[in-house]
Amino acid sequence: MLSRLIRMRWPLPVAGVVVAGIIVGVTIATASDGGNTLVIYNGRSHYGDEQVFTDFEELTGINVELRGGTGPELYERLRREGDDTPADVLVTTDLANLWRAEEAGLLEPHELTPTLEANVPAELRDPAGAWVAVSTRLRVPVVSTERVPEGAVTDYADLGDPQYRGRTCLRTSNNEYNQSFVADRIAKYGLDATRELLESWMANDPEIVNSDGELLAVIAAGDCDVGLSNHYYLGRALLENPDFPVAPAWPDQDGRGAHANVSGVGVVTWSDDEEDAVRLMEYLTSPPAQELIVAGSEFAANPDVPPAEHIRDWADVNVDPIAVEEAGPLLDDAIALMLEVGWN
Amino acid sequence: MELTSERLRPLEAAAAPASEAPGPPRRRRRPGGRLPGSTVLGIVISLAIVAPLLVVPLSLIGDGFALDPIARTLLPTAVRNSVVLAAGVGATSLVVGGGLAVLVSFYDFPGRRWLDWALVLPMAMPSYVLVYVILGQYGLASPLQSNLLGDGFRLPGIRSVGGAVLVLSAVLYPYVYLLARSALVGQSRQSIEAARSLGDGYGRAIWRVAVPLARPALAAGTALVVMEALADFGTVNLLGVQALTSGVYRVWNGGFDESAALQLASVLVGLALVLLLVERVLRGRARYHQAVGRGDAVVPRRLRGWRGWLAALPGVVLLLVVFALPVAQLVAWSWETATEGGLGVDLRTAITNTLLVAALATLAAVVTGTVVAYGLRARSTRLGRVSARLGTIGYAIPGTVVAVAVYVPLVWVDRHVVTAANDAFGWSVGLLFTGTVLGLVLAYLVRFHALSFFSVEARMTRINPNLDDAARSLGADHTRVLADVHLPLLRPGIVTAALLVLVDVMKELPVTALLRPLGRDTLAITVWEATKDSRIDAAALPALLIVLVGLVPVIVLVRLRQREGGAATLP
Repeated sequence: MLSRLIRMRWPLPVAGVVVAGIIVGVTIATASDGGNTLVIYNGRSHYGDEQVFTDFEELTGINVELRGGTGPELYERLRREGDDTPADVLVTTDLANLWRAEEAGLLEPHELTPTLEANVPAELRDPAGAWVAVSTRLRVPVVSTERVPEGAVTDYADLGDPQYRGRTCLRTSNNEYNQSFVADRIAKYGLDATRELLESWMANDPEIVNSDGELLAVIAAGDCDVGLSNHYYLGRALLENPDFPVAPAWPDQDGRGAHANVSGVGVVTWSDDEEDAVRLMEYLTSPPAQELIVAGSEFAANPDVPPAEHIRDWADVNVDPIAVEEAGPLLDDAIALMLEVGWN
Repeated sequence: MELTSERLRPLEAAAAPASEAPGPPRRRRRPGGRLPGSTVLGIVISLAIVAPLLVVPLSLIGDGFALDPIARTLLPTAVRNSVVLAAGVGATSLVVGGGLAVLVSFYDFPGRRWLDWALVLPMAMPSYVLVYVILGQYGLASPLQSNLLGDGFRLPGIRSVGGAVLVLSAVLYPYVYLLARSALVGQSRQSIEAARSLGDGYGRAIWRVAVPLARPALAAGTALVVMEALADFGTVNLLGVQALTSGVYRVWNGGFDESAALQLASVLVGLALVLLLVERVLRGRARYHQAVGRGDAVVPRRLRGWRGWLAALPGVVLLLVVFALPVAQLVAWSWETATEGGLGVDLRTAITNTLLVAALATLAAVVTGTVVAYGLRARSTRLGRVSARLGTIGYAIPGTVVAVAVYVPLVWVDRHVVTAANDAFGWSVGLLFTGTVLGLVLAYLVRFHALSFFSVEARMTRINPNLDDAARSLGADHTRVLADVHLPLLRPGIVTAALLVLVDVMKELPVTALLRPLGRDTLAITVWEATKDSRIDAAALPALLIVLVGLVPVIVLVRLRQREGGAATLP
């Protein structure tokens, strides 16, 4: 190519135009919204979560394209893209992500179909109909089975017990699970009580890790004794290795119970495939798809589907569902509070 | 040396006063002559490349220098951590890289020849890959069995500024080593012997004569390392250190606060510029290393017996810990995932995506680099020289800042221009820049155009200007001269440019993390996300591939050193 260019009269402009043309061409080719394809912005784990979508494709003949990212990434993109977005469906973790998306007008409220109403109980749906939950997850204290006696940790407050000073692990305050937890806490216990709780946690000088998975690995390796994690990460680790030396410490079992959050799905406001999008929502909450989701150790949104075999007794835990309508508007307060108490 | 000095040139250029601009031989001015098209084009391209970066300081001015609340909360910790990190990595790399360079230059011991090139190898490992290997040692939750040091091995306190200093120093010290080594090799035996004749022992003569003479090289290498440490995103993000770069990312993708992100970015850029100035002052007028170098090369003193083995020890241990073991671990994990059929579609698409964006960015950078370099040569004007230097600033700016700076104006263009085109002509191309391959490639271009420009330009200055004049006197116009005279002679420069940009883009993390088209994850993104999620199995092969790709320019560099240095480098 170089030698042919050299013989041309205008080598640089020609090269420039050719290169620019190639780049724009590739951009348009890769950015196409795919016509009939149902584009899904998927914020749930991309490690093994794809099976449900492949099954949906096979069942319905609808082409699906998954585009992955973290919840905040997807929110930021959707917000920027607006009505030019290729996305039809947003599947994301955590109430915080669902609430923000709805608040920013990224998810369109719909009247729910009878199937959706049958699949998902009312407390796991957005009251306005912008999203429905596909799974629930508990955010609970987890403890080393080797260094923490059974029954020593029975509540969230125990993460602030001075005896665990320098032995606690937490995920960053930038994480939505933590933000939702704190917002829900503020909604139910008030700002002052929540500040007190977080200050006691911070007084233990927690080690900040990237993910719940890493947190469990760090406890198992002996760098921490206690931490806060979503239950399904522990479920997966136990499935991989039944002797994994970390156990859940179900909190506040005589009171409100363990904080339960959701992951959910909604139709993007600018979708041009709403019918297919709703079919996907129905499928994701139907028993066959819920079985696959449960296999990843989450709890099903559909009450007909029990937890996976290896964690079935976790179904008896007393849970405290997140206050869907009250916690969302408190997210900004939650973030400010976390920064105020020095939670990085 | 060529590759290292290429990396340094943007720094030097950014710091040098205008009159010292690296450039082609000045050409006589043709009075009243119209500027050649290539010169104009070069100026336009350079300015277009630097333009987005103006968004960054504007964010401060626009808000009347009022800091956003989030920025104000994060700033004190972030600045402190970034400064400690940069200083720590600079000092550690100076001691380790400089010390090893002195050892290899002035002493002969078993394994010295081998160590001389092997000590450069850690450059090939992006710091986030090293973090991945370290965090992957917490094996118990991972399905992988082949941890070399056994499950649950760990480095206590790795998630701290100190841990980040260790990781970054491990992969950055080679910059100091390389520059110090070449400065020390160029020194004469006579100056050392003069010091010895005045009563100094050998070691003391080295410390009092040779090391001070190498000061400019040591300062340059350390400055480069400090810049890289400030710009690092992967390590601080993965180790949970609140530095300025991770702060920008956090505010952008969690606080959703554009102005706070830009304000943090401004502080980061300011810090980088201050450090550049400090380096200039420290180095002072100390350019005397070029004046020496006459006379015989230093003959390293032979260390026999246990002293020789002792001298070999630090280098060997260092390489074992920061390179050999991590690579062996990557190979072991890769083998395990590959034999268990853990590859599949994801790896293939990651490779395709990586090659696609890297190839496009390389093509673009080669064209802009050549146009700007040639524009300068066709007619060297003050405007041309200044704009060419401005166009290279992106290389000294951390990737997170470049990403944010490029994103903001592109979104504006998308909203207004593309929508206008939609309305006026009914062209429906959707979003051209926001979260697309094009947006990503443009950001890479802002960051890596400098690499291409300097490679091409370095080669171009070696073409005798008489050749241009001869061709012109035979009636050839500027484009003809470029086509028939320059491009064939420029080929090595263009190949170097392409290689440097290609490899840097393939390893690049922060720009890619912020701007990648959704669903088109690259190898670097795969490693980063898997590390965040403790999915060690998912990233073994991508990480190994990144290291192998990174080895290519390092091996080229080592071979160049051996060829150029010849007897002088290895007496």
